[in-house]
Amino acid sequence: MKVRAASLPAGHIDRKGKAIRWSLFRRLEFLFALAAVGAIWQLVSVAVGNKTLVPPPLLVIEAWLGLWRSDLPTDILASLVHLGIGYTLGTLTGLVLAILAARFIVVEAIVDPLVEVLRPIGAIAWIPLAILMFGISRSVPIFLIFYASIFPIFINTLAGVKQVDQQLVRAGQMLGASPRIVVMHVVVPAALPFVIAGARLSLGVAWMAMVAAELTGADSGLGWRLFWYQEFFAMDKVMAVILTIGVLGYVFDTLLRRLQARITRWSPESALSDP
Amino acid sequence: MTDAQRRWIPLLFFGSVVLAWEAAVRASGQSALASAVVPSPAGVAIAAARTISDGTLAAATAGSLFRVLLGFTIGAVLGIPLGLLMGFVQPLNRAFGPIVDSLRSIAPIAWIPMALLWLGIRGNAAVFIVTYAAFFPFVVNAVQGARLIDRNLVNAARALGARPALIVRSVILPSALPAILTGARISMAFAWGSIIAAELAMGIKVTSGGSGAVGLGQLMVSTLYIRRDVNALVLYMVVIGVIALIIDFGMRRLQRTLTPWRQP
Repeated sequence: MKVRAASLPAGHIDRKGKAIRWSLFRRLEFLFALAAVGAIWQLVSVAVGNKTLVPPPLLVIEAWLGLWRSDLPTDILASLVHLGIGYTLGTLTGLVLAILAARFIVVEAIVDPLVEVLRPIGAIAWIPLAILMFGISRSVPIFLIFYASIFPIFINTLAGVKQVDQQLVRAGQMLGASPRIVVMHVVVPAALPFVIAGARLSLGVAWMAMVAAELTGADSGLGWRLFWYQEFFAMDKVMAVILTIGVLGYVFDTLLRRLQARITRWSPESALSDP
Repeated sequence: MTDAQRRWIPLLFFGSVVLAWEAAVRASGQSALASAVVPSPAGVAIAAARTISDGTLAAATAGSLFRVLLGFTIGAVLGIPLGLLMGFVQPLNRAFGPIVDSLRSIAPIAWIPMALLWLGIRGNAAVFIVTYAAFFPFVVNAVQGARLIDRNLVNAARALGARPALIVRSVILPSALPAILTGARISMAFAWGSIIAAELAMGIKVTSGGSGAVGLGQLMVSTLYIRRDVNALVLYMVVIGVIALIIDFGMRRLQRTLTPWRQP
């Protein structure tokens, strides 16, 4: 879809054509880098000579395609179920706790120190306790994801609600808005960018917790499958699962990033942060 | 609510929770010793006394910290130059940026099976995971640091006759240092989390014989499966948290000392 310069008014800068060419160019650069990495990988694999130690890229791709026909869909589904349940429950809990803490200062006085104390411990340190409580099962990753998801969204939502410009709230009240309208039309939109940022951070830690928990304490899911293949020394399949984990994680983060961009597009962030 | 109230309310609340917890555990008839199913505050204290006095806690913590420092250093040595280079040379950044981002989205622990195959059980696989985790924050923040360097300053130094070494020492490094130190702080936090995860995974999944160096993660696993001491488990969790706090506090201190001009 090239814009012909002749049909444009004189002096017009062909921005659209430039933008299209530029994005194509960037894609090429990325592909080139990808090819370079693939080439180095292939060289290393050939140099080492051992297909188990360093599986060549083509072998990994072949294994990955083969896995689609056997275990991969089941594993992906299991992992997504773990993530879905844990993340949803965790973010809801964190959200509710933050709202309560913002509304009732007693709640904040209790929950905030609790969060500050528990957060450094990290979700991963809970794994042995979780295994003791639930045994090796899918409850371990679900619990761990749930626990890990609470913290980022709680902290960010609380900060977001607290930074709402009180002048806006007072302006709304002065103009006669009921408390419900003030909350729905002033507080929520102002806090929303922070909430979505917290949701995105929660997803990040949830994903890490999922891999760690499945690796050590579950009997299903992508993380568990890693060691399953390792025990057969099917390292090409292990690499295939690793790549799947990476790609899926990247996809989820990108989805939330797009959502975040859309939501923060209309919020006048710069206006709020000016003193 | 006054400031004093804000400090006392949580203390009172948690104090009473701890007391009630201890009372409940005592009332249910379990002794506060090992092999209890439910952890109790007194039990945790007893476990603490035991593991500190017989040195297991200190040895395990030292082992973990050593591997964290090793991985952190290697990650810094590899990550900072790469990040600075990528920040200076835009085509490199555009080409390798997406690749770095993609690798970054793979959780470090997922590499354990491969790391175990390449580096063996005796601790080096854990160091690899830590290095991997520490590497990316350095790269990302070094790129940021390189971008922040004011070209005018570099040109001014050159115009005044400074040799490249002096320019690097007095202009480039101080300009990039705040971002690099932020990267160091994040890396250290990631590194500490990763070593625990790696040691846990190695302890749980590698059943073939003793695993050489023992860290906190492996200690937790042996407590889980062999001793079955819940109180010790809770104690180790607390230790992990305390060390994380100390690390964060220390890194922030370091940042303030080395870059006092930085506006937080």
